[in-house]
Formats: sequence, C-alpha cells, structure tokens
Amino acid sequence: MKIYITGYGLISSIGMNADESLVSLKNHSTGIEDARLETMKGYKVGAIHATNEELKEKFDIKTNCSRTALLGIIAAKQAFNGHPLSNEIRTGLISGTSVGGMDVSEVEYKNYLDGENHNPDNYKHHSSGVSSEQMAAEIGATDFVNTISTACSSAANALMMGARMINNGLLDRVVVGGTDALTKFTISGFKSLMIFDEEWCRPFDESRKGLNLGEGAGYVVLESEKSISLSKQKPVAMLSGWSNASDSFHQTASSQDGHGAQLSMQEALNVAGLKPEDIDYINAHGTATPNNDLSESQAIKKIFKSRIPPFSSTKAYTGHTLAASGGIEAVFAILAIQNGYIYPNLNFRNAIEETGLIPQLKFSENNKVKHVLSNSFGFGGNNSTVIISAV
Amino acid sequence: MSDLRETLKEQIIEQLNLEDLTPADITNEGPLFGDDGLGLDSIDALEFIVLLESNYNIKIADPSEGKEIFHSVDSLAAYIEKNQ
Amino acid sequence: MKLVASCKISNQGVFLNSKLVPNTKSTETNWKKELYTKTGVTYPKFYKMDALAKLAFLSYSYLDKALKTESYADNDIALLFANAASSKTTDLKYIESYKEKGSPSPSLFVYTLPNILTGELSILNKWYGENVFFIEEKFDPEFYLEQINFYFSKGAKGVLAGWVESNDTNEECFLFFVENNGNELTIEELTNLYKS
Repeated sequence: MKIYITGYGLISSIGMNADESLVSLKNHSTGIEDARLETMKGYKVGAIHATNEELKEKFDIKTNCSRTALLGIIAAKQAFNGHPLSNEIRTGLISGTSVGGMDVSEVEYKNYLDGENHNPDNYKHHSSGVSSEQMAAEIGATDFVNTISTACSSAANALMMGARMINNGLLDRVVVGGTDALTKFTISGFKSLMIFDEEWCRPFDESRKGLNLGEGAGYVVLESEKSISLSKQKPVAMLSGWSNASDSFHQTASSQDGHGAQLSMQEALNVAGLKPEDIDYINAHGTATPNNDLSESQAIKKIFKSRIPPFSSTKAYTGHTLAASGGIEAVFAILAIQNGYIYPNLNFRNAIEETGLIPQLKFSENNKVKHVLSNSFGFGGNNSTVIISAV
Repeated sequence: MSDLRETLKEQIIEQLNLEDLTPADITNEGPLFGDDGLGLDSIDALEFIVLLESNYNIKIADPSEGKEIFHSVDSLAAYIEKNQ
Repeated sequence: MKLVASCKISNQGVFLNSKLVPNTKSTETNWKKELYTKTGVTYPKFYKMDALAKLAFLSYSYLDKALKTESYADNDIALLFANAASSKTTDLKYIESYKEKGSPSPSLFVYTLPNILTGELSILNKWYGENVFFIEEKFDPEFYLEQINFYFSKGAKGVLAGWVESNDTNEECFLFFVENNGNELTIEELTNLYKS
C-alpha cells in the first residue's frame, strides 16, 4: 500500500515554519548561537527565540501546556492545516519525545527542593504522553494517540509506526513526528557525557568535538489512498521506506563499524524496493560527535560503496533537536524533493581521516531529487531510517 | 591506608550509583572496568573524574589518562596518595 | 502467534509461566540485588543499570531458562516495550545529582530514557533486530498484540515484549516471548497472564 504525505509542519531555531526554514537553509544561516537564557548560559544552542507566551499569542494557542507540547502543537497544526475531519477517515497521532514536560517539571522541582512555593498541579504536564494527547486534541486527530520514547530516533519511529498502522488497515490517516524543548536537564546531561562542542558543531569534520543541542518540532501527515479520495488532499511526497534495527553495542555510543546503522539503511531500502544508487540525497544523523559521525560514515560506505550520493547533516543549522530531529528532517526531505534542493553540511573543513568522505558543501538548487534517505540514531542503540520519495 | 581504600569503595558506589553493591563486594586489586571487573566503561570513567575532583581536589584534564589511574581501587588510591 | 513463555517479577516474587519460583519473594528494599544473586547469572554490568534495566534484565534471566533463543538469527527477534512512567525514577535521581550534589551524573543521565533497557537486552544477547519503547497509560494487551503482528508481518520470527514499570508506588516487570506460528494468543489470555 502506498503511504502518501499530504502535509508537513515544523518549528526550530532556523524558522517558525517551512518557508522561514528554507530561507535560512538557502542562506547557510545557522540557528545555533550562544544561549540567551540564564539557565543555559555558556552553551551554544539552537533555541527558538520566543517565550511560551509569545508563541501562544503568535499561533493563537490557548492550551495550558509545557513548551514541548506547545512546539508540537504549533508544528502539528501547520501540518494538519486544511485537512478535513471526517467520521470516515480514522485519524491518529503518534508523537516522539524525550523530555516531555520536563521544562515545567524541572522548574517546579527546583522550587520544591529550594523550599519555595511550588504547584504540584504542574507535574501533570510531565508525562511524555500528555504532550501527545494535547496535540491530538488540538487538531482533532483523536482516533488513536500514542507516544514513542526512543531518544533521538523517536520521530522516525513514529513515521514508521504510522505507516504500519495504515498498511494494516488500523488507521486511514496519521500525524507523525516528534517534539522536544530545550531543558536544563538535557543540557547538563550532555555536558556530563562530555559530548558538547563549545563552538559551532562540525558534522563529519575531522576536528569535530561534539554536538550543539537544539529544540523544535516536526510533523507530517500520512494518508492512505482511501483517505486521500475522501480528504481530497494533494500528496506532496511519499513515505516509501522505513526501518529500525539495534546496534547492540553500548547504551549511548555507536559501534565502530556502524552495524546497526547499516542494518537500518539496508532494510529501509528493501522496504522501499530501492537500490542504493536510487538515493539522491542522504540527510544524515550527523550529530558531530566523534563517535556518531565515524560510525555513520562507515555504515554509509558499506551500503553505498563507491557511489555515495550527496549527503549532509542539517544539525549544524538547527542543533540536535533530539526526539524532534527525525520529524524536522523528514520535512527537510520533503522540501528537498519538492524544490530540487540539496542542503549543505555547515562548518566542514576536512574529511574524517579514516573515511575521506566529503559532504555537500554548498546549498544547491535544480537537482533531480526523487528519493531522500534520512537517518535518526537514538541512545540505546536504536537506529532508524526513513526514505521519502517524490509522488 | 586501608581506610582510604574503604572510603574509596564507598565513594565509588555513591558516585556511580551502584546502590546494590557494598564495599565488601569490591576487591582492592580487582579490575573495575570491563567484563572482568564491575563492567564499568568510558561513561563511568567520567564519574571517576568527578569523584577525584570533588572529593580530593585532583583534576584530570585528559580523560584518556583515566584508564590506568582507575584500573583498580589500589591504583586509584596510589594516585590519590601521590597527588595530594 | 504462539506464547512460548512469560515471566513476571516484583518484590512479590518471580512468576515464571504463572508459577511462583520458590524463595523469590522478598520484603527487602534491595530485593532486586537478592534476585540477581539467585538467578545464577554473572553479569557485572547489572550493578550499574538503573531500576528499569535491572527489572528487565532479571526478568529476562528467568525467562531465558524457558526459551531457546540460540535458534534465532541475530535480527530475527524484535523487542517491544512500554510503560507509563517512562524513566521517572532515574530522572529524579539525575536532577538531584546536579541540584543537590552540584554535578550532573553522566552514568545516571544515560538511563534517563526508558528505551535504554531494550539496548541493554540487545547488548546482552547480541540481538540486532527492531526495538521500540512506547509510553502508555497502562498495560494494554490489544495494543501489544497489534504491534507484535506488525513485527511478524515484517519478518520477525520472535518478539520479546514487556511492560516494565518503576514509579513511586510500584516496581514490576512483565515479559513474554511469542513466536510466529501456532495458536492465536488472545487478548483475554494475555490479560490473565499479566494479572496472574
């Protein structure tokens, strides 16, 4: 069964919607800069420069929610804009998140530990599932709501799960993707693992030191053929391949040879019925950690051999948005296909010695982009790949 | 001397969140890292760096030095005694 | 699908295929450590795991006695897990590490994701198949059976599924292993298995 994509929405440090994001992408304009918020001072992050109140006003959202839920609502609403609700179209929402409502909880808990007044009611935002429920309620996609928590592969897994539910006749239409807000929790955590870069991250560069965190949300609408005949929405792309595999090496590090990454890329190609040479662009996971980029490069070489397509990591633009990354990057893939774009890998100077791979260096137009492969690899060795194709 | 080793064992358990271990479960000379030891890895090595700094005011700038220093309770104790 | 074996653990004991394994009930707060010494398995990495990973590891150690996973290729087995509280227990410990102790703990941070436990099981067994972790309000047998069927339709030969919870009031792990052949495991049967 064909899985059509009929809508997309995203928000990140490079734009509050697709159009704004494209301007940044074209101009090589990163959203990563020195954190402005006191709680994050000293780090370079891809933050969305608006308070929750400002975002709620701008996007006319009244729900009392965490920042993670708010970003998700903004992106999901964009994706679902103009889609009619109908009793005949079973519509669900599957969302990936790693921090859930932690942005609220960590403030409340701090107040609690400091002996100040705190409102226990606010902990109701904490659960990862709550953000999904709120998003689903906001857009009316309530026939099935689920939440995936597999770290940085969560959104990609949501896309995969959505495709399977449609293929198996359990849903006709589903909004899928991920959302994560910046929190002190995650910033301090990645700092403790010593995988930050104090400077702008350099994916796939020999001198790369680590990642910059970001926040955002990205969602797409998947529909079956039956759903489209009823909703009358125009497909913008297809979700043609998906896969998940276990790297089975370490809780947070990737195996040297990228075994799990190889498995997930190969299986996604199998699902799509494509050969490696059919891929026109790879949007890599490319977090700029010494470990991931080497591991992922080895896996890319194994799969694509001497015919490696243009590839880049867009995380030097947005920062690593954790559970949202697979959703945001799915939208980038759709835009690449629609417009013939290939995005550059910012901050690159020298290839990794062991691999010699050189990513796309400049934003490029007028390309034939029919199939895009997008990787999202999460802690726990959870490796996922999706393939998005032209209609 | 043996006090330092016992204290270290308690600190290791606390710092690395090995709440189900007691000092009696950790030998002085046995390897702490790898499958022959307590199964500790590079992430846990980061904890040792914090442990040395907060409890003994010893800074290790280069994590890769850690492998030898953190090999066992004995080697850790020896390093602390040398650098205090 | 055919149910091969199930195992449920909590401080009430280990129930392997619904039968209580003798001497596994414990009122101690370190009941998980006690259970580890009783499994007969030596796996030092157990000690640094968080509550969720320990629960999954212990439950699997007992379940393994009733399984023949060597007959599967390394990506034949899929992992399907869920809970309601995500990694809450560890999340709070982690926050305390930087709030109270002044320095965020990397070894705790590693476990502030519920799906690390699927990573631990994969590493233990060298499994390379699919794995996922969902956040659900409660154990929902229908949902599990649906998802398991997806894996089977994709080519998985076996699925290790589990509900692993650690929160303020309760710690438990319910694991079951199913194969893609034979009698249909029903929602009712699975519900009863979980409750027993």
